[in-house]
Amino acid sequence: MTDQNKRIKDYFCKHTTRCTIEGVKKSKRFVGHDVLKADAWDKVTGEAVYPDDIFFDDLLYVKIKRAVHPHAILKDIDISQAKKVNGVVDIVIAEDIPDVRQFGLIIRDQPVLIAPGEKMRYMGDPLAIVVAETKEAAKKARDLIKVKVEELEVITDPFRAMEDDAPDIHPDGNIVITHHLNRGDVDEAFKNSAIVEENRYQTQFIDQLPMQNEAGVALYDERRGVVNIWAATQWLHDTQADVAQSLRLSKDQIRIIQPTIGGAFGKKEDVSVHIHLAIAAMRTGRPVKLCFTREESMITQSKRHPITIINKTGVDRDGYLTAWETKFIGDTGAYASSGPAVVHKGMYHATGPYNCPNLRGVSHAVYTNNTYAGAMRGFGTAQGAFAYEQQMDILAEKLSIDPAEFRLKNIYQKDSITPNGQQLTHSVNAEETIKRVMELSDWKGGRK
Amino acid sequence: MQITFTVNGEERELEVTPYTRLLDLLREDLGLTGVKEGCGKGECGACTVIMNGELTASCLVPAPQADQAEILTVEGLGTRDDLHPIQESFVEAGAVQCGYCIPGMILAGKRLLDENPEPTEKEVRYGLSGNICRCTGYAKIIDAVMLAADKLAVEGSDSSD
Ligand code: FES
Ligand code: FES
Repeated sequence: MTDQNKRIKDYFCKHTTRCTIEGVKKSKRFVGHDVLKADAWDKVTGEAVYPDDIFFDDLLYVKIKRAVHPHAILKDIDISQAKKVNGVVDIVIAEDIPDVRQFGLIIRDQPVLIAPGEKMRYMGDPLAIVVAETKEAAKKARDLIKVKVEELEVITDPFRAMEDDAPDIHPDGNIVITHHLNRGDVDEAFKNSAIVEENRYQTQFIDQLPMQNEAGVALYDERRGVVNIWAATQWLHDTQADVAQSLRLSKDQIRIIQPTIGGAFGKKEDVSVHIHLAIAAMRTGRPVKLCFTREESMITQSKRHPITIINKTGVDRDGYLTAWETKFIGDTGAYASSGPAVVHKGMYHATGPYNCPNLRGVSHAVYTNNTYAGAMRGFGTAQGAFAYEQQMDILAEKLSIDPAEFRLKNIYQKDSITPNGQQLTHSVNAEETIKRVMELSDWKGGRK
Repeated sequence: MQITFTVNGEERELEVTPYTRLLDLLREDLGLTGVKEGCGKGECGACTVIMNGELTASCLVPAPQADQAEILTVEGLGTRDDLHPIQESFVEAGAVQCGYCIPGMILAGKRLLDENPEPTEKEVRYGLSGNICRCTGYAKIIDAVMLAADKLAVEGSDSSD
């Protein structure tokens, strides 16, 4: 081995486990081998093509006029001045697309454009699609669109949204969904517990913040009747189906081509540029491009749910969990997005990796006028982890036992049953993990 | 107005408006799409180029300011078949995930190694501190720059033999 190669090996060893697997059985091709990523060469030379790297000669640029208030009825929209801007090709408002339907990942509650008489529910709601020869013209025209609104109460707190006298953000009320969890006899178990601890936890909005903002290009192939859309999505076929139903086209008329994706982390599960691009492409017959700015991405696209978690946890004298009750309330913002699934999954992870025989839970996703919340890595479980690990620490302190020992007593083992009834039949290494952490960190029993 | 500047070793003459950002000029007029936009506000480093030897956020530079400048983008560093040692190190260290931050990271790494060929890990961290990556957690990017320093040192000593 040359000197250089040795030093290279040193660097690899520092952060990876590759050098410790000698003796472990290797697979023929990948496991236990250094595998270089197939697309790395494109990405280190700048050759990789992301959506905003796609250009056509006769490309038109799209900008979206968005809501002017987080909760208001659109009274009037005036595009007359905007239309006069040099280079403007088309401005689309709701009355131009009467047949277009709402879209959404789980519940189709998102409008493609807000029409007069309808409500804008957050600052990202789209009011008009502006198409122009240059970005500058599109921006200028967008800013000349005049809007009149009737302001409504802005609801930013899901607890306010759930009150009886709160205005309904959507026609069916503000509670999007309710899930329940029941196992064993929680009341009896609390009665027989040595300690019962109840606390309320609050997490905040987080933007997934992939480095690349939402962007795309579309081209309508009129002869084939197919709209080609080059834009990132994490659900290629769901996005295709949702765009198709929204535009009342068949799925084979929507072709979504996935360019290189500049990060997503859940944020690109939702439709972003796709439908507006398709409409602009079909109406103009020319290739069109829409790139969100960072601000637009932050205001318009999904977030990690802020969740209020109320955990009530019982434990016996020997330090075993007896009962766990959880309330899990997610602020899903103006639209449902993945919210119904996020609060469901989050509730099922209420006890973390700890065994507890008696369980009761309720979770809600609630509409507010905040930017909508959807998927982000962990999908509801990261918020829950904050709450259940705090409960464990607090209970350990009350029991005057080492928080690590307390966790070891209650940790999932092979054949443990999770709150949603799943029996863990293999690969349950939680106990081993805690022990290894104790060893590596030279654990001395935690703080006093 | 007319500006003249050198990009990746080639002299270019272009008509620009005072409002054009260097970022758009490079991406749209010259097709150098390895220069990325992440924030448009000078915060993320995705649009990094080396301009007159300095790391520069091209989203903050009005095109007229590039008149007479010498600019290097990732495209000017190496090609697929003839990677620059820094590019090679990013591939080998597994430092590339979505790749969106990578052109900026590579240029920040190059600028650092030009000035300081044997950086400590702390100096590498400092040298990359203007560039955000949301995928990798940075560890392997730092490895890649350290690795590149070694490769360049070996190359340097080879040529002086
Ligand atoms: S795009 Fe220039 S620093 Fe982020
Ligand atoms: S690799 Fe994705 S942002 Fe750095």
